[in-house]
Amino acid sequence: MSDSRLVKFADVLVGFCTEVREGDLVTLESSPRAAPLVRELYRSVLEAGGYPLPRISLEGTDESLLTLGSDEQLDWVNPTRVDDIETVDVRIAVAAPGNTRRLSNVDPSRQARRDRAAEPIRNRYLERAAAGELRWVLTAYPTEATAQDAEMSLAEWEDFVYGAGFLDDQDPVVRWREFGERVEAVADYLATKQELRIVADGTDLRLSTEGRTWISSKGRENFPDGEVFTGPVETSVEGEIRFSYPAIFNGREVEDVRLRFEEGVVVEATATRGQQFLREMIAMDDGAKGVGEFAFGLNDAITTFTRDTLYDEKIGGTVHLALGTAYPETGSLNRSALHWDMVCDLRSGSEVYADGELVYRDGRFLNGVG
Amino acid sequence: MRDPRYDALAALVLDHSLRLEPGKAVRIDADTVAAPLVLALHREAIKRGLHAYAALELSGLKEILVAEGSDEQLEFVSPIALREMDALDASITIWSETNTRSFSRADTQRRQRQLAAERQVAMRRRDRIAHGEHRWCGTLCPTEAHAQDAAMSLGQYEDFFFRACHVHDEDPVRHWARVGEALHARAAELESVRELRIVGEDTDLTVAVEDRTWRAAHGRQNMPDGEVYTSPVETSVNGTIRFGMPAVFNGGEIDDPRLRFEDGRVVASEAASGGDYLTSLLELDEGASVAGEIAFGLNYEIDRFTRNILLDEKIGGTIHLALGTGFENLGGLNRSALHLDLICDLREQGEVYADGELVWQNGHFLADPQPARPVEHVR
Repeated sequence: MSDSRLVKFADVLVGFCTEVREGDLVTLESSPRAAPLVRELYRSVLEAGGYPLPRISLEGTDESLLTLGSDEQLDWVNPTRVDDIETVDVRIAVAAPGNTRRLSNVDPSRQARRDRAAEPIRNRYLERAAAGELRWVLTAYPTEATAQDAEMSLAEWEDFVYGAGFLDDQDPVVRWREFGERVEAVADYLATKQELRIVADGTDLRLSTEGRTWISSKGRENFPDGEVFTGPVETSVEGEIRFSYPAIFNGREVEDVRLRFEEGVVVEATATRGQQFLREMIAMDDGAKGVGEFAFGLNDAITTFTRDTLYDEKIGGTVHLALGTAYPETGSLNRSALHWDMVCDLRSGSEVYADGELVYRDGRFLNGVG
Repeated sequence: MRDPRYDALAALVLDHSLRLEPGKAVRIDADTVAAPLVLALHREAIKRGLHAYAALELSGLKEILVAEGSDEQLEFVSPIALREMDALDASITIWSETNTRSFSRADTQRRQRQLAAERQVAMRRRDRIAHGEHRWCGTLCPTEAHAQDAAMSLGQYEDFFFRACHVHDEDPVRHWARVGEALHARAAELESVRELRIVGEDTDLTVAVEDRTWRAAHGRQNMPDGEVYTSPVETSVNGTIRFGMPAVFNGGEIDDPRLRFEDGRVVASEAASGGDYLTSLLELDEGASVAGEIAFGLNYEIDRFTRNILLDEKIGGTIHLALGTGFENLGGLNRSALHLDLICDLREQGEVYADGELVWQNGHFLADPQPARPVEHVR
């Protein structure tokens, strides 16, 4: 049964998020579970005059490589994926996992080795994106696996996902433009500040954003969207942070993560569950100990934790911090094979100070900002 | 529950068909419906030290392109796809469809243009294979659609298909090596033949094969396999032939086709149904009404028609003749955009004479070498 929201979903991704134009080469990266959306995307790209290039993969090939591959095989970078990143104008990636925990038993050091091999591709596409040569969006198609992680039925999960994307609206693009103005107002406000201090249960963290750019994330590179982010000054992060939500990476869940920073790098990392995995990931390379991103989540249609970072980092009233590589357009120079977003709920009993002034309390900016 | 036959087929394709050194790059081309075989091939390729990945097609996308694409989109050849072919040491095509008739109502001309664009990449692969720069094998993954075309249940079709591949054998690679020996001997024997005469029901056809090279097909480029073939002398084909089995081409079907040849060219054609389609194919270009291939099907595990040319052309006891393009490397001179395989069932009633001597009767060569006989023969 075709869901009319899928047509809107595809049209928003193609027409609004990536603005596909005549002659654009557009990779559609996904897996067979997202077939209904991929077909709508294919049609929508054709309608826009673009050339859709499907890149459909099977989950299961990564497991074979990670469990059976030699170091040479783990290090191999497919030249055609490099060619894609160098050549295409638009990249639309649709996650649609059948099992988010399928790699739970893979040796983390082998996973890290594979991630390091893939790092140049990631850096290159971020570089082309920052230079305006490549437009991209990452989104997700609701599956039983992600519904299970969110502790919902598939039907409930679909409603949640499409609701977070404003796809129930008559014209979702109008909603996204309005919402984008609000996100921009927050970014403009934060651009006037130099130092942030976050205070909450188990958290007292200071970081400098001086000279860095706050980016409004309003439905271009992630969908759904709704955050402002920057890359803090690399050596400026000081203090402690306790993440209220489990930190999830490569299908593994680490609970009650606490990090202590000195001069921008993690000097202590503890967790009640998954501590060893946390430490192995942080030890991946030099940049993995540093902070690549600091952000405020602003999407109030996303209210509950889902175990999917795409949604969780946009929950209205949260902040998140990513260990590892930064987005070059923020001005940050931190580089790593890691980019691990960890989310902290600030909706109760928390405060944020900017240059010493209280600007945010219990998940809301004060003084009418945003 | 994983079906071990997929693993066995994957191992056979890698160890017998492709035989790649570790470190080579191999791509697995398939529809997503072939996931079980794709995963098995990928896993076995990783075990063998190869750099393996899959390029999957999602059913329904090309149908949208043919129905709705602009001229430019229909004829577009991705520069990335061409460069990708140059970077690959090998590729495996898994024919696997979810619906073999999904283009039945599509605009024929638009479909042809889309196929022509696709051929650009296929021709790059063909050139690289010819230069020894690329290895390729085509195989199949059983699907409901293929089973339906064969009038079987999926379970029956899987049994049939895997039997034809001999993956049940204790050592499938050894089986195909033996098939290779037998077929090479048969091909060598046929090289000394100047003229074949095929006699069967409504069939009396003479074909010169003098100075042409016979090729043994024993599982290198197709799995399953089992045929010997060449390109006949273009002007030599004379007489009539009735094929008995339907010809399926690009989803169109021609039932019981009959052809009359004079000096190498089809001068009359008829069919129980699909005659107009046959005529349109014969008129495609100058070379479309000339035979480009004559072959003996010798896989006796394939004992029935299944509407899939990979299998049908190897049915033990048949011959097939292809209209259209021939094999340059075997001495064939005919060129055409067409290569339409037509299968003539000689199992019930049929004789083949080589330079006047009876060499084949009722689906079997009369004298050794006896190639591709059932399992117990080779064990």
